[in-house]
Amino acid sequence: MKLKKYLSFTRAGIIEEMQFRASFIIMVVGNLLYLIIVYFLWKAIYASSGSEVVNGMTFEDTLIYLVLATALFNFLDLYVVWQIGRDIQSGKIVLDLCKPIEYRKYIFWSYSGSFVTHFFLTFLPTFIVVSAVTHGAIPLGINLLFFMFSVVMAISINYSIDFFVGTICLYTQSIWGINIMKQVIVLLLSGATIPLAFFPEPLKSIMYYLPFQSIYNAPLSILLDGDPSVETLLTTLGTQLFWTVAMLVISKLFWKASVKQITVNGG
Amino acid sequence: MGKIIEIKNVTKEFKVLNRREGLKGSLKDLFSRDYKIVRAVDNVTMSIEQGEIVGYLGPNGAGKSTTIKMMTGVLEPTSGEILVDGNIPYKNRAKNAENIGVVFGQRSQLWWALPLIESFKLLRDIYQIPQENYEQMLELYKSLVDIEPILHKPVRQMSLGQRTLSDILAAFLHDPKIVFLDEPTIGLDVSMKAKIRTLIHELNRRRNTTVILTTHDMGDVDALCRRIVIIDKGKMLYNNDIEHLKGFFGSYRTLKIRLDGDLEQWAQQLAQELPDFSVSADDEWISVLVDEEKAKVIDVLAGLQKKYRIRDMQLEEISTEEVIKKIYEEGVQ
Amino acid sequence: MKKRGLRFYTKIYFKIIAQDIKSKMSYRADFIISTIGMIFTNISGFVSFWILFRNFPSINGWSYHEMLFLYGFSLVSITPVQCLFDNNWSLRQQVYTGDFIKYCFRPINLFFYYQSEVFDIKGLGQLAFGIGTMAYSWSKLDIGFSAFMLLKLIVFLITASLIMIALQNAAAATCFWIQNSFYVLDLAFKFKDYAKYPITIFSPVFRFIFTFVIPIAFIAYYPSYVVLRPDEVPLLSWLSPLVGVVFFIISYKIWMRGALKYNGTGS
Repeated sequence: MKLKKYLSFTRAGIIEEMQFRASFIIMVVGNLLYLIIVYFLWKAIYASSGSEVVNGMTFEDTLIYLVLATALFNFLDLYVVWQIGRDIQSGKIVLDLCKPIEYRKYIFWSYSGSFVTHFFLTFLPTFIVVSAVTHGAIPLGINLLFFMFSVVMAISINYSIDFFVGTICLYTQSIWGINIMKQVIVLLLSGATIPLAFFPEPLKSIMYYLPFQSIYNAPLSILLDGDPSVETLLTTLGTQLFWTVAMLVISKLFWKASVKQITVNGG
Repeated sequence: MGKIIEIKNVTKEFKVLNRREGLKGSLKDLFSRDYKIVRAVDNVTMSIEQGEIVGYLGPNGAGKSTTIKMMTGVLEPTSGEILVDGNIPYKNRAKNAENIGVVFGQRSQLWWALPLIESFKLLRDIYQIPQENYEQMLELYKSLVDIEPILHKPVRQMSLGQRTLSDILAAFLHDPKIVFLDEPTIGLDVSMKAKIRTLIHELNRRRNTTVILTTHDMGDVDALCRRIVIIDKGKMLYNNDIEHLKGFFGSYRTLKIRLDGDLEQWAQQLAQELPDFSVSADDEWISVLVDEEKAKVIDVLAGLQKKYRIRDMQLEEISTEEVIKKIYEEGVQ
Repeated sequence: MKKRGLRFYTKIYFKIIAQDIKSKMSYRADFIISTIGMIFTNISGFVSFWILFRNFPSINGWSYHEMLFLYGFSLVSITPVQCLFDNNWSLRQQVYTGDFIKYCFRPINLFFYYQSEVFDIKGLGQLAFGIGTMAYSWSKLDIGFSAFMLLKLIVFLITASLIMIALQNAAAATCFWIQNSFYVLDLAFKFKDYAKYPITIFSPVFRFIFTFVIPIAFIAYYPSYVVLRPDEVPLLSWLSPLVGVVFFIISYKIWMRGALKYNGTGS
């Protein structure tokens, strides 16, 4: 069966992840530290604003949003650009291209193991803790189902962007520079670090036309909106679907056109 | 000639994590870990004289690299004593480093992006080589190998052979008393191997540099070493001249014959007929290693000739390679 | 044994660095893209800062321009770690593959030799951003200007940078003990983002932690008092040079201990 072939990558990925137990602990500590900073920072911001609601969000709304965004970030954040870049620099990419599996898929499924582990080890516990602590601030209903769809699309869009950017390494070999640019743009314009509601007007509208908000803002707004209108839901998911397909096609075509360019290092 | 390296009862142990298998095992590893002690070097004693070239041999994982790392001061022995030119390497790593040069397999120690000559200049400054000595050394290099084509080439653009050559030259640059070469000819073509052997030999002869060489290539040993030390599973099996070693196996000779047809099949058949001797085949010859204390080669040949149509034959003394192979397999009595 | 003093090391350092810069210049495209990436990072930092604080005259008693000064201060004080100790990022990889061993065979200080190999020029862009921000906010703040203030600023910038260097050295050195130390280093690297906020936003417990356990308050907050509010300098601010030096020495010892314990895995 075809899926089995892919699942063995997933399994290997999980085993590999487990071997780095120290890094798990550190990741958790790092997240806690980040969230502590976020908590106090926003608390200070709300305190100095003098009102309960800023830009349509209460302190609690903002905090829940940012905590979940962090948890989401932890399993969406891949090192795909690094890996592709290194494969290109070392010339290993030639071997990977000879594998009986498309390179794009090969990389994706190699990471699928870390999706699974990170989902269970970071996102799920965070989600449970947040919903327990906030006593139902996260609506638990049909929105969870939509959220699942939305996250799957977010993973796909995020991966396509990473793969697209990784492909650029075929031309420049400047992995650090390319990667940092991507990371900065995605983090800022996706609403991963600051909720979209806080952005000033012209910037906010522009962000809705870009693919990045589909990665963090879209799934989180679906999750946190207990009673969405059908129209909102369709717009959000529809936009995501559009970007999923568009980015998939774009990154695939770009890769196809670029592979011909391969000039391998060493020999 | 004095002893430049003295090793007494040296043992090195490592703690190794036992990883469990499979998904369940890796889950278990998260919570409890199981270590075992591996003895990489086990009670080794030897000494090396100034100016010698010593071949340090053993199968993969025998403890060769570990011993060299202890002699260079990278590792501390678990027990025992090491003196390199009067220094305890681990305690005086920097001081010891002045006296030694190291080439470690295929890991280049040169600055990857720099042309070789720039690396040389940096090494000159780091080792504080007087300008005069530095220039003399470069002259010597020029007389021994054709370094002009690589001198201005960045290391990353060099072929493996050129890189190895560069690394060896860099290791000798500060005129150290001892140079450690870990598999210097691995992966090189025949002519490059010959070039490198000549270079090592010449540098040893002219500068009286002690060379300690690990290799799997018996060609290196035959070309360079008078003495060999063999180690396996951390224990020293042999430490003496090659000639002496061959003496052990002096009664062995290799009978090579050629037959029509598939040599592999013939070899299998002959192995059954001659259970006392080891039989092997390559593309051209079937080799029978005959122990003359058990049977004369001439008798074996006569016996074979009665049964088979032998097209061609050769007789050889035992090669270093076969001696080493026998030692790995059987040890020294 | 030949004597190797400060003069020797200074000379060697500049020679190695000069070679590194020369060889980096041969990768022009990489240099340009990395610089652009660095500029992106800084712009995004400013945008985030602006979005968060533009609407509020002050946060916890710290005015907008004082906060901006802190931000600029943190950028400048992390420049040395970015420029001079960037090779720490490759340490993990070199230890993992066993390539680290090559540093052990030279008759010079191991830590020095390792760090001297890389000079990250693009960090200078950050320096420019930081200096610009500090100059701008200084001009907006009504605190006057004197040569003595400038001298104090420089001294405190240098010692503050020692803390960031110390944190990064210690974080990088963890790879000698644990397999995947990337997360540790990444975490330490993120401290720089947290260092730019006034420590007064935190609750007393975390104020204590960020002062004495993870001393990020010494990267910008305490030292900048000396310039921003010379009349109310807390005792801890005067201690920051001492803290910087002590932490640097401790981190050096940790790094060296790790390196000597290193057993050259990968045979």
